[in-house]
Amino acid sequence: MSTKEIRPKGENFVWFTGMGLALGLLMVFALLAVIFVNGITVFWPKEIVEVRLKEGSDAEIQGAEAFAGYISIDRHVNDIRPGKVEQKRELQFFVGNKDVYGFMYKFVDYDQIESMGPTPGIIELERLEYGDAIGYPVSLTLKDGTKISVGDENFEKEFEEFFKAAQDRRKEIRHLEKKVIGRINHKMTQLQVKKRTLERKHGDEAAQAMSSYIKYDDEIAELQVDYDKLAAEAKALRQEQHDIQFTYRLATGQEQSLPMGELTGYYYPDRLGFFGKITFFVSHLWDFVSENPREANTEGGIFPAIFGTFVMTLLMSIAVMPFGVLAAIYLREYAKQGAFVRAIRIAINNLAGVPSIVYGVFGLGFFVYVLGGTIDDLFFSSRLPTPTFGTGGILWAALTLALMTVPVVVVATEEALSAVPRGMREASLACGASKWQTIQRIVIPAAAPGMLTGLVLAMARGAGEVAPLMLVGVVKLAPALPIDGIFPYVHLERKFMHLGFHIYDLGFQSPDSEAAKPMVFATTLLLIVLVVLLNLSAIIIRNKLKKRYKVGAF
Amino acid sequence: MNQKFKLITSIGLAAGLAFSASAKVDPDLPNYEPVSGVSGNLNSIGSDTLNNMMTLWAEGFQAIYPNVNIQIEGKGSSTAPPALIEGTSQLGPMSRAMKSKEVDAFEKEFGYKPTQVGVAIDALAVFLNKDNPTESLTLEQVDSMFSSTFKRGGTPIARWGQLGVTGSLADRPISLYGRNSASGTYGFFKKVALEGGDFSPRVKEQPGSSAVVQGVASDISGAGYSGIGYKTSGVKAVQLNEVEPTAENCINGDYPLARTLYVYVNKEPNQDLDKLTYEFLRYVLSKQGQEVVAKDGYYPLPAPVSAQILKSIQ
Repeated sequence: MSTKEIRPKGENFVWFTGMGLALGLLMVFALLAVIFVNGITVFWPKEIVEVRLKEGSDAEIQGAEAFAGYISIDRHVNDIRPGKVEQKRELQFFVGNKDVYGFMYKFVDYDQIESMGPTPGIIELERLEYGDAIGYPVSLTLKDGTKISVGDENFEKEFEEFFKAAQDRRKEIRHLEKKVIGRINHKMTQLQVKKRTLERKHGDEAAQAMSSYIKYDDEIAELQVDYDKLAAEAKALRQEQHDIQFTYRLATGQEQSLPMGELTGYYYPDRLGFFGKITFFVSHLWDFVSENPREANTEGGIFPAIFGTFVMTLLMSIAVMPFGVLAAIYLREYAKQGAFVRAIRIAINNLAGVPSIVYGVFGLGFFVYVLGGTIDDLFFSSRLPTPTFGTGGILWAALTLALMTVPVVVVATEEALSAVPRGMREASLACGASKWQTIQRIVIPAAAPGMLTGLVLAMARGAGEVAPLMLVGVVKLAPALPIDGIFPYVHLERKFMHLGFHIYDLGFQSPDSEAAKPMVFATTLLLIVLVVLLNLSAIIIRNKLKKRYKVGAF
Repeated sequence: MNQKFKLITSIGLAAGLAFSASAKVDPDLPNYEPVSGVSGNLNSIGSDTLNNMMTLWAEGFQAIYPNVNIQIEGKGSSTAPPALIEGTSQLGPMSRAMKSKEVDAFEKEFGYKPTQVGVAIDALAVFLNKDNPTESLTLEQVDSMFSSTFKRGGTPIARWGQLGVTGSLADRPISLYGRNSASGTYGFFKKVALEGGDFSPRVKEQPGSSAVVQGVASDISGAGYSGIGYKTSGVKAVQLNEVEPTAENCINGDYPLARTLYVYVNKEPNQDLDKLTYEFLRYVLSKQGQEVVAKDGYYPLPAPVSAQILKSIQ
């Protein structure tokens, strides 16, 4: 028998669909793999080599023919020099020490390199400013001028102790400045606003004579005394951070010194064993997700962006669910099904296709300028011209995205409602329940899993959206979180950071695009993880609900 | 060249300040001394060239005043005037001077002109790929590459060979990268380098200055313009009219594409700026603030200029 006869008709198309699926999966996994590999290797320690250049090479750094760094790119490119046809190999090194060199990355043609060798004893210093420094330790200079040089047997122990002391001091400074002084400042601002309110109401001179005005002044003076004391304390601590200087020698020959307080971390790259590398990886990953960004977002962590994305998505879900569900219930259960309702349904479906930036423009015009401006005029007039709600903020951003995702919820909820068996409704009505009781007790619980599917889709779309947010409240740097420990705890008017915008900002607007590149991948990876987590939790809730109402669904 | 810049040029010359190529901060600049009672919210909306510097300033300012909130948006200089007029921001960073139309719109709303505060000096550099052998271009050549109107009188230049490059690059078309039209960098380059002419449609418009540099770094036949602060290891800044884009050349006015970067504020005449905004600007114009400028790759102001600018907002 020939193969033609064995195979049933249409079998080829089964293979065809299989191929489509395989292709789709391949693309998804390839993309995820690229992001995952590039994002995860950011935190893995790199091997530092000392590069010796050939004599007379033009790749030297400040006249030195040797430098230290790790290889960040190793590639072959077309050689455009006259008379060359083959490709040339070029290496890009991370050399750090931006304060000395003026750059952190350097391209060197492979044929310029004499040798690349190990770097025993080299130390990589993670600093608050100017990125990493790479050099050989030389000595520690204490406050009284005594020197501990690297030859001393307890040098490394002392170094670690001073480093830890400086870390603790930094924590103390942060606590003092952010929490304690922060609270005083907040109180003072409140009093100032109260004073201005009085001035507006009664005129400057009349207000100044009022007893409550004088009381405010006294309170402010009292707070000022406290502030001065604490500020002096913080300043003294900051000064102490500069007491101990660490001197190191760069591979290019210069000696540099760094106050211990500027150090955020250090390690000896040539001494890290496998477990050392794992520890390094975990601690750096943790720093990345838990710390504030530094140096125009090219250093430090992205905690405010993660938190901002999370809070914004949550607010959006809270706003979108009631509206979407109520609209869908009316449309499906109460409205008279006719041409008008069909038209509305078509309109809702079309809304889902409106470009997101249009929602952003609407949000800016309506929420920010009209609603926000009115709120400011009515309730925050004493703070004007500084806008409170009349400028982009997390509330307006969440509402704009809620508007954008409402069609998704409406469509999903309608589908879920129509899937509830007719028998269930009729049974309920036959028992004497009213229409609303039926909807409330029978239909909505049975349709809940479907509604949650709508929410999952809405959240996925909302968390990944950037374009409209740029108009209604996302910023490059907003170190104050939308939720914190100062009354009223939730600050809906604040601008916020967002992972999606962070990726855009790092990718296109960063001052040092080379330093930002690894951060782009790491941030993308985190955004994907966050969206997956949000979706997973919604799916888990949905499955629990499904189980709960399975019995009731005959 | 605009007025403020001429001012800087003249004072810079008069003071006879010597500047090295590595953009040293003038040691005569005043140290910033913190004052008490500074807190509140600052909003900044405007230039993307100044975006990173604003962020760095904000970080430094917040280290001094822990409870000041500074929020920064940077999507292009053209977004600064509307934000100032709407009152949605107190600071309007711009990489070019306001156009008379924008000043008029502001005046119509408030009855007085916005106050211009010069905060740093920038050299707009023409970047080529690091492997490109070209070291120097004339402004006429730049106009011939980037424009479609050739107001400087040159003839179209489309291939590297026309600029004297030999080897395999000679036959390749020049691949142009530029900024989008909301950008002050776009406006300044158009006004000064192209003498008000139009860009060639072959210029690929990028959403940020860093994207321009990345484009040139990854494209061997690429050429683009953006602020000197965005330079990376993959590109090089060429000489223009045989002048290097160094701090010295920018201050004495030799480099043709030097410009002042501004922060605009809404200050009523004969009235003090609010304390927070004033202290922020005082910080920016101090030694600490100008060190940030140098760190970000731009050129700091000389001390006499900074003092004069500070006086104008008191």
